[in-house]
Amino acid sequence: MFDLDPGDDLKLIVETARRLAASELAPKLRDSEAARAIDASTAAAWDEIGLAGLEVPERLGGAELGCLARVLVNEELAAADAGAALALDPYGPALTTLVEVGGVDAAEQLVFSLEPEAQRACFVLAEDASLELDGDRLSLELAWAPVSHVGALVVLRGDHALLIREGIELTDVRGSGLRAAGAAQLRVARAPVAGVWSDAEGAQRARARARLYYASLLLGVMRASCDFAIDYSQQREAFGRPIGHHQALAFLLTDMRMALDAARLVVHEAAWRVERHLPCAAEAAGAWAECIEVSRSLGPNGVQVLGGHGFMADYPVEKHMREARALGLLCGGFDSAIEEAGQLLTASTSPLALGMEGAL
Amino acid sequence: MEFAVDRAVQRRIEEVREIGEKEFRPAGLEADRRGAPIPVGHPFFDRCLERGDGRTRWPGPGGRKGESASSLSVVGRLLLAEELAYWDRGVINAMPGPGLPEDNVLSMGTEEQKERFLGPFLKPDRPRWACFAMTEPGAGSDAAAIRTQARRDGDSWVLNGAKCFIGAASRADWILVQATVDPEKGRSGQRSFFVEQGTPGLGGFKIEKKMGLKAYESTSFTLENVRVAADCLLGGEERYESKAGFKTAMKTFNAGRPAIAANAVGMARAALDESIRFARDHDLVRRDRVRDRIEAIARKIRKARFVCLRAGWLADQREANIAEASMSKALAAQIAQEATSLGLELVGTVGGAGSHLIEKLYRDVKAMDIVEGTGQIQRMIIARKLVGLPR
Repeated sequence: MFDLDPGDDLKLIVETARRLAASELAPKLRDSEAARAIDASTAAAWDEIGLAGLEVPERLGGAELGCLARVLVNEELAAADAGAALALDPYGPALTTLVEVGGVDAAEQLVFSLEPEAQRACFVLAEDASLELDGDRLSLELAWAPVSHVGALVVLRGDHALLIREGIELTDVRGSGLRAAGAAQLRVARAPVAGVWSDAEGAQRARARARLYYASLLLGVMRASCDFAIDYSQQREAFGRPIGHHQALAFLLTDMRMALDAARLVVHEAAWRVERHLPCAAEAAGAWAECIEVSRSLGPNGVQVLGGHGFMADYPVEKHMREARALGLLCGGFDSAIEEAGQLLTASTSPLALGMEGAL
Repeated sequence: MEFAVDRAVQRRIEEVREIGEKEFRPAGLEADRRGAPIPVGHPFFDRCLERGDGRTRWPGPGGRKGESASSLSVVGRLLLAEELAYWDRGVINAMPGPGLPEDNVLSMGTEEQKERFLGPFLKPDRPRWACFAMTEPGAGSDAAAIRTQARRDGDSWVLNGAKCFIGAASRADWILVQATVDPEKGRSGQRSFFVEQGTPGLGGFKIEKKMGLKAYESTSFTLENVRVAADCLLGGEERYESKAGFKTAMKTFNAGRPAIAANAVGMARAALDESIRFARDHDLVRRDRVRDRIEAIARKIRKARFVCLRAGWLADQREANIAEASMSKALAAQIAQEATSLGLELVGTVGGAGSHLIEKLYRDVKAMDIVEGTGQIQRMIIARKLVGLPR
C-alpha cells in the first residue's frame, strides 16, 4: 500500500527535532556561522533530547532507528541551520557506512573512538578526494569538508570502507557555507588504516544512505528558503499589492514549492527502500541528484523573490542559496549520482514498471 | 510510510499489462495511422464488453458493489490509470462505458436518474457511451464563463448553445450538458442536464481532427432549442441552490486531475522504455550522454508518480487535495512532454520519420497539459492556496 503517514513514533521524533531547531538553531543562525561552531547550550540541549544516537546500533547504546528517521530529522534541523545540523551529529554517514559494509563490530570502532566529545567523524566518498592507498597506509587530500575537529575518518572507496583514526590534518578554510560545522581542508599523509571492510552490496547501501543523508539536509535548506520567500511575498508590497499576488512571482513560488515537494517524496521513497532492504542504489542516487538539481534554481530564486534585500545578509535567503549549493557538492555531488543511477537504470528494460518486488 | 503496491492492485495491473500489450497498444497505433477514432462497430469494443469493461460502477437498484475499479482506493485507481495510459492513452478514452459523467451521476443524481441513465450500463447489450459536455468554443479553462443557456419552459428545460472537444459525443447514449440559467450569476447559475441522443435540436456533430490521441473522438456539437423534461436536471432542482451547480462541474475536475497526471506518468514511462530499448538495440548505452538522458527522464517520472499518488492518498484520507491535485497535473504533464521530447532526441531521425511510438507519444502527451485545466490554470489554483493569489 501507499501511505505517507510516518506514524506516531516518527512524528514524535520529528516534533522533537523541530522544537530544538526552533529554540536553539534558528535564533543563533548568524552567530553559529560567525563562530564556525555551535555553542555549548545548543550542544547541551541536543544531548538532552537524545537524538545523537539516532542510527547508532542498540548494542552500542543507540536508538538504531532507520533511514527514514534520519531523513526526517535532518530536514527539520537543516530547515533551521544545515551547518548546525552537521555539527550536532557526531557520526554522519561515517557510521552508517561502517554498519553497512563492516557490521556493528566495525561501527563499534568508530563510536568509541570519538574522544573528546567535540570530535566528529568525517565521511569521505573516494570520488571527492585525491587518494592513494599503499598497503595499509592511506594518503588523502580533500579541498573542503564542513568539519572542525575530526576524530575519525571513514572513506568509502568502491566496495571498501576504510577507517582512519590518526594522522588526520585539518587546515581551516573560509568555506562557502555550512560554517557552523566548521570548514577545513583535509590531509592525510600515509596514515595507518585502522580497519578495512569490504562488501559490494553493503557499499552500495552505504552510498545510498550517505546520499540520502545529504539530500535530506538539502531538503531542509530548500524548505527554509521556499517558506521564507513565500512569507516575504505576502508582506512586501509593490505596485499596490503583495508581490506574491503578481502572477509572475506567484508562479515562480508555485514552481519552487512543487519541485521541493516532489524532491522530498523521492527522498522518502528511497529511504523507505533502504529500510526495507529493497534495491535502493538507483533510487537514492536519483533522489540526491534531484535535490541538487532543484537546489540549483530554488536557492537563487529564494534570493530573487526578495530582490535587493535577498542579496543582503540581513535575510537568511542568501545563506540558504550558498549552503544549498555547498551541500550539493558533497558526497560525490550530482555527476557521481547520475552515473550510478544511469548505469543501473539502463541495465533494465523497463526500470519503472509498476509493482516490481511490490514496490513502486 | 509505505511506497508499495498492494496485491489487489498488483493483480489488476498485471491484467492491464496483458490486455494493454495485446489490445490497447495495437488499437492505438491503428487509429493513429488511420487518423480517425476507432469506429463504433470495431471488434475491439466487442472484446472490451466480453471482458466486462464498459460497465457502470453503480451497483444497480438496491444492489451491492462488486469487485470493480470503485472498490479500489484512489491510489489504486491512479496506478491503474498509469498502467492503462502506458499502453495507450487514447484507447482508454475510447473505451465504452459511462465515462466522465459517471462520478457526477453517482454523487449527485437521483435514484431514478441512476436507474435510467446508468442502468443500461449494468450489463450493456452493446458498446454504449456517455459523455460530459462542459467546454465551449469561448470557454475552456474558465468554466464559469460558459454560455450554453438553459431556460425553464413549463415542465421542461430548453437548451441553446455550442460545445466542443467533447469525447464520444456523437456515439454517446446521453450527454450530460453543463448550461447556465443565468450567465450573470457565473458559477452559481450553472446546471447539468441529461440530453439523450436523438433529441430534436441536438446536432451538428463534427469529429475534430487532432494532433494526437486519435483513437477517441473529440466532437463539437450544437444545441438548438433542445427540450428536455424537468427530471433531466441532474440531482433535481433542490440541489441547485447557492453554488452547488458549479461545484458539480468542478468536482469532476478535481477527481480528474490526478488521474490525468497518472496518465501522463504512464505515457512518459512508455517513452522511457522505448528510449532504453532503442539505446540498447543500437549500442548507445555505453555513451555517457545517452545514460544521463535516460537517468534524467526516469528520475523525473518517478517524482511525478509520487506527487500524483500523494494527491490520491490525500483523497483516500478524505483530506483536501486541491493544491496537491493541481501540482500532480502541472508537474506530470510537463515531465511527460519532456520525457517524450528527450526520447525523440535519442532516436533522432528515426523519430522524425513519424512512425516510431515515441513520436506518437510526443503528440499524444501534449493534451495532458491542457485537458482538465491547463498547466497555467493549475498554477493559479496552487498559487491561490500558497500565496493567496486573488481570483
